[in-house]
Amino acid sequence: MLNRIDIDAKVFVGAALVMFFIGGTLTTVVPPMVDTSWSKPFENNDPSKGPTGKLLPYTEQEKKGHAIYVREGCWYCHTQQTRTLLADTKRSGWRGVDSPVSTPDEFVYDSPHMFGTKRTGPDLSRVGGKYDQQWHRTHFKNPRDLVPGSIMPPFPWIANNEEEFQALVAYLQRLGRAKNWRPDNDYEK
Amino acid sequence: MEEQQVIAEKTQGSTAGAVTRTVHTDTTSKWFLISSVSYFFIVGIVAILLAAKFVWPELLGTVSVLTYGRLRPLHVNGMLFGWLLACDMGLAFYYVPRLCGVRLWSEKLGCATAGLWNIIILSAVVELLAGHNQGLEYAELPSWLDLLVVVAWVMFGLNIFMTIANRKYTQMYVSLWYTMGTILWTAFVYLTGNLAVLFATGVNQANLNWMYVHNAVGLIFTPVGLAIAYYFIPKASNAPLHSHRLSMIGFWSLAFVYVWTGAHHMLHGPISQWLQTIAIAFSVMLLIPVWTVVYNFFATMKGQWHMVRENVPLKFLMSGVVFYLLTCFQGPMHSLRTVNAIVSKTDWIPGHAHMAVLGAFSFFAIAGTYYVLPRIFNVELYSNALANWSYWFLMIGGLGFFVTLWLGGFWQGWQWNNPSIPFIDTVVALKPVWIVRFFSGILMFAGITTFLYNFMATALSAKGRSAA
Repeated sequence: MLNRIDIDAKVFVGAALVMFFIGGTLTTVVPPMVDTSWSKPFENNDPSKGPTGKLLPYTEQEKKGHAIYVREGCWYCHTQQTRTLLADTKRSGWRGVDSPVSTPDEFVYDSPHMFGTKRTGPDLSRVGGKYDQQWHRTHFKNPRDLVPGSIMPPFPWIANNEEEFQALVAYLQRLGRAKNWRPDNDYEK
Repeated sequence: MEEQQVIAEKTQGSTAGAVTRTVHTDTTSKWFLISSVSYFFIVGIVAILLAAKFVWPELLGTVSVLTYGRLRPLHVNGMLFGWLLACDMGLAFYYVPRLCGVRLWSEKLGCATAGLWNIIILSAVVELLAGHNQGLEYAELPSWLDLLVVVAWVMFGLNIFMTIANRKYTQMYVSLWYTMGTILWTAFVYLTGNLAVLFATGVNQANLNWMYVHNAVGLIFTPVGLAIAYYFIPKASNAPLHSHRLSMIGFWSLAFVYVWTGAHHMLHGPISQWLQTIAIAFSVMLLIPVWTVVYNFFATMKGQWHMVRENVPLKFLMSGVVFYLLTCFQGPMHSLRTVNAIVSKTDWIPGHAHMAVLGAFSFFAIAGTYYVLPRIFNVELYSNALANWSYWFLMIGGLGFFVTLWLGGFWQGWQWNNPSIPFIDTVVALKPVWIVRFFSGILMFAGITTFLYNFMATALSAKGRSAA
């Protein structure tokens, strides 16, 4: 067998594909079948089991906002995952309340997913309701007016386009809100 | 011992004075190399702009098509597919026919592939700048371009496989295995990352996306890069490969282990813990293929190391091997949960990624290009001194880039893990790191520019000579 593998191209091709498909199948096709939380939208009515709430599908306007977020490449610098690290739950938290960690059932309607790999700016997985619309408008016009030292690019063509701006803010304001994690319900509009 | 002899003869075929010399026209190889080296330069400009934007965030800030979010996918896709993969294909069109002892199956098909590849890259530039981004890393190109990539890949694969099917030598040298592996695996990895993802959402989609992202490097650039190193290290150093058996262990362990590791991109994230653990275990196992391959290269160089001083391709090759060893030590270490908690999502990661794609695989590709250039154009290299300069620019610029981003990224991760430091302070703290990165980028770009100039001057001198 080993001797044939480098003289017979057909045997070689077969072996190379078999090797690849063992791992390929077990790590891509099998996991979503084993772990059903990947495809079941979040829903919890029992406060003893953690934050309550329900994940709703995106509205038309939120979908438009998501498309703008994709188009402008926001996801290259902002991750959307509160990881199982203490610091992440503190940083995603708000006014002294720690954020719950992100779970697969919160992202069932996301396509393309926006988990991200690089955190040049802060994580946005729980940004929904932290800042009001006026804050976002000023921030998109010039981030440094509100956050000195920021290196985020300005996006005046969004801030000055009412339809796009409203859509993007609608999308941002729903991020991380399926879990109703702030006890005072003090979300900004 | 007998098989060692075969490999030795095969890798030294041209110097040993083979009985019947096959005449290679290398037209396809030329076209792929000319376009890839040009894209290396053009996309290099984009890279400099991106590095500058970290230091001067207002730079070109009000032009939507030139914002960071539009240029970054252009940089990543341009370097991966416009430069590196195209250059790798150009080199494969050179070494595959030679290892098979026959001419390329079809130069016409090869040239058509090169033409189609250029159409894909140029269309990608327009689409990405316009913001037609699919929103998935490494898979940003819109679907119609993905389909063209598949067509081009089938054309490339057909040509290579038919050449191998017609080969004169029974035994296939290790570079041929890696090339065939690349063609087969890329087909499935690419379809998963660009097509299958469209039918999934959320974490399921992310899992397919990371399987593709990881294997774009692990099962596309790694095997074709190693094919190049396996061919050109014995060639450039004039020594037979140390061990055929060891290269087999390296190849088959890579074939089995690499594909399992995608989920290590989401450690601590919202993906099943057991899948994270599997990805970690297999990531650590990656040390097996890496160390066997690197040992084989070093052992091949035994007694030949003095050649590195004078020989530019060998300089690039052996530095690339060291970078490969380092980057593939970092990878398994990042995937350990404790290390990952510090370095994940920080600037360390681009430091790591650039060492793999630039430091290891681009160095191999540049080495191969310098080696084949005088041979396909049948002239002397325009300037050996300039080639040496391009090496030192890329080496010093590259090291400056990698090392500052590792240090900076590690420091950044350390700060993130202390929630009493406001996020913006961790951004401001990295400014000096980004300034050094920008100037390192300028050095790297100087290396690319001298490489391009040397390449074009050599190619044009060949043209001038044939006209006269």
